Amino acid sequence: MSATDTRRDTGPADTAAPDTVDELPRRRRSHPVVRVLRSSLAGRIAFPIVCLLVWLLAIRIVTSIWPFAVDVLPTPTQVFSFMWDELTGETLAPRNVYETFGISLRRLGIGMAIAMAIGTVIGLGMGLSKRVNAFFNDWVVAILAMPNLAWALFCSLAFGFGDVGPIVTVVLTGIPFVIINVREGVRNAPTDLYDMARAFGVSRADTIRHVLLPSLMPFMFAAARYAFALGWKGLVVAEVFGGEDGAGWTIKFWYDAHRAYGVIGYALLFVVFALLFEKFLFDRLSGYFFRWRPEVNAADVVEQRFDAPGVATATATADSGNGTHATTTGPKPERGAGGDETRRSHDG
Amino acid sequence: MAEITVRNLHKEFGVGADKIVALDDVNLDISGHVFVSIVGASGCGKSTLLNILSGIETPSHGQVQITEDGRPAAKGYVFQAARLLPWRTVMDNLLFVQKDRSEQTRARCQRYLDMVQLGDKGRKYPGELSGGMQQRVGIARAFSTEPDVLFMDEPFSHLDAITARSLRAELQNMWQETRKTVIFVTHDVGEAVELSNRILVFAKGGHLADDIDMPLPFPRDVADPEVAVAKANVFRTFEQIGALAVS
Repeated sequence: MSATDTRRDTGPADTAAPDTVDELPRRRRSHPVVRVLRSSLAGRIAFPIVCLLVWLLAIRIVTSIWPFAVDVLPTPTQVFSFMWDELTGETLAPRNVYETFGISLRRLGIGMAIAMAIGTVIGLGMGLSKRVNAFFNDWVVAILAMPNLAWALFCSLAFGFGDVGPIVTVVLTGIPFVIINVREGVRNAPTDLYDMARAFGVSRADTIRHVLLPSLMPFMFAAARYAFALGWKGLVVAEVFGGEDGAGWTIKFWYDAHRAYGVIGYALLFVVFALLFEKFLFDRLSGYFFRWRPEVNAADVVEQRFDAPGVATATATADSGNGTHATTTGPKPERGAGGDETRRSHDG
Repeated sequence: MAEITVRNLHKEFGVGADKIVALDDVNLDISGHVFVSIVGASGCGKSTLLNILSGIETPSHGQVQITEDGRPAAKGYVFQAARLLPWRTVMDNLLFVQKDRSEQTRARCQRYLDMVQLGDKGRKYPGELSGGMQQRVGIARAFSTEPDVLFMDEPFSHLDAITARSLRAELQNMWQETRKTVIFVTHDVGEAVELSNRILVFAKGGHLADDIDMPLPFPRDVADPEVAVAKANVFRTFEQIGALAVS
């Protein structure tokens, strides 16, 4: 009789304690649909959907005011079917999209390599010597302030049609970022690590290879990203004026053909291409080069920090709850089993 | 046996009105397998002395000679912060300061990592370790070059009291085992009394104010009355020379 009484006594307490433990994780692990909606992926997907709606709405409004606009305002279907044709290789332009981007990419690659090489040398000089810094500083700022349209026009005048103009434009657009980043990298040199290397008698070559270069890597990487993003734009402008082929020239081809969907479609292909590049080349490279960084995703860290104490207190209260009851009703495991039994018998 | 000889050592920073004398006519002889602590308030030149001894800085004038059986001694250094290369793994950090990368060297590095209880962390990056663990790696790195003289610059001052205590015990064991000459800079008198055979007290203006022998046997327990008395004595010396006036 007394045994069943204690069971009944402990019953509610037992079910209450696990509930507090379960509740928190359950609140964290909300309904799958809610979770998907709340995720950053949903936010990312929502953006193009909103853009598409605004686009359709804009066409409707504009054509209702001015019906002839139908000819110049391409619909999403026109643009996407154009893009699909381009991607499957069916095009009215002299070259298909892959050849075109191949040509542009080669120019961008050559231009970036030159910008990185020269920029690194100048940046190192500026970071190490005040005189070199004074010599270049104003000019770097001036080159940085120059619109790349000006470079593109100048280069097409100076070098005519062909590869040289676009490549020089890429170099001139990208080089200030490389210079400034490398200079900052040198200025942020980890002197305490150099002292460490010296105290242990590490050779100069090893110090450059294992201390200086890795400490410059984040800066070089940032420089390359900027040079890529801005050089890419400069390149297209240069190709519009001074190219016989390439992405910029092809956009102009569609412009000359009065095909608005062609211009927008090609520009979108261009964006897709740059994003893929960013995602698959730069993100991979940065993941590889900076694998030593403890936590790349800052959002995850914040989430963990805020969640951890909550879970800890939940288990702590559950423990203390069990503890107090254990003193009145005897050993814990037995009591736990008993509680489960009562619950099961209630269910049945 | 390691011999450290310092004669008329003088070091100043800056020029003209900004001139600061960090070390003023320091003379010193250290020999054998001893644990020497350098104590003093901040700004009394103890870290400068260590940096000159280790070769990171050069003296304004005066001579420093550190030999092991007549040849130049090999040196190791443990810094206040661990100063690990964040882009290399723990094991690679140890290998970075070695003369060669042979299998033997690797085995030796592994042995010292085991000694600081980080034997399984060789493949981790420093960023994945706690501050205390990083400092342990720093200590293992210094020992792994098997130096004749080991310099330590307030290696435990950035750590919490409990971690510092356990690392002190570890350091004591490693020193007993390897019998290196250790030059240990600290501002913590208790730490100096617990660890060392000899305590050099530096006063403001960078001169060596006192040289105290600590013959008590190791390991020393801070609760032991003899250790407490020794600690009180060192503090009294501090008061006498006015080294505590600023702190």
